[in-house]
Amino acid sequence: MEQSPEVIAEVPRPWDRPIVAVPVLAVLAIIGAQFPSFSMSANVYVMGTGGALFWLGLSHRIPKRPAPQRLGSGAAWWFVPLLIFWVFEAGTFVLGSTDEFPTFSRLADPILEDRLMRSLAYFGWLSAFWGLVRR
Amino acid sequence: MSVSRLIVISGFTVAIALAVVMEWASRREGSRIPSFGDVCAYVMQYEVGRVPVGRLGMYGFWWWVGWHFFAR
Repeated sequence: MEQSPEVIAEVPRPWDRPIVAVPVLAVLAIIGAQFPSFSMSANVYVMGTGGALFWLGLSHRIPKRPAPQRLGSGAAWWFVPLLIFWVFEAGTFVLGSTDEFPTFSRLADPILEDRLMRSLAYFGWLSAFWGLVRR
Repeated sequence: MSVSRLIVISGFTVAIALAVVMEWASRREGSRIPSFGDVCAYVMQYEVGRVPVGRLGMYGFWWWVGWHFFAR
């Protein structure tokens, strides 16, 4: 008699679901955006949240999505935007990051002074970090 | 706005727009371009002995990005 193959379904943990993770990251981002740059509280907060995610990523507490064993030849196309970005960032950095030749962070600074934009950027940073932890 | 500033802003914009287009292309059926997440996951697999060098490098870089934009 033929036996059916065993099916193992991994049940996601509650905090692993977007409905939990997104609001948590949003609250963390809103709190983080309250601290102005160059303040001790901003340093402590970014070190704390980043350090916690760093630790979670290195520990085996978070189930990780399987990584590809090899990348196709199309992966090389990712060098194009990365190289363009690097050329402009390195070039403007070498030129002293002035108003004439601003680095990316110099361009971003006035935008990040706005509380809403800072919250959104913080959310993007935390979400991407969480995504890396899950990989 | 000076010409040099405009060129710099255009350069960053082109790089970001290209990345967005590539991410979109990677999600199409049968695409040969992997998503950026897959590229990162592949890099993070790199280990030297038992040291997860790829993972440490990627987390360290992203941690620094956050500190650079939000704290320094």
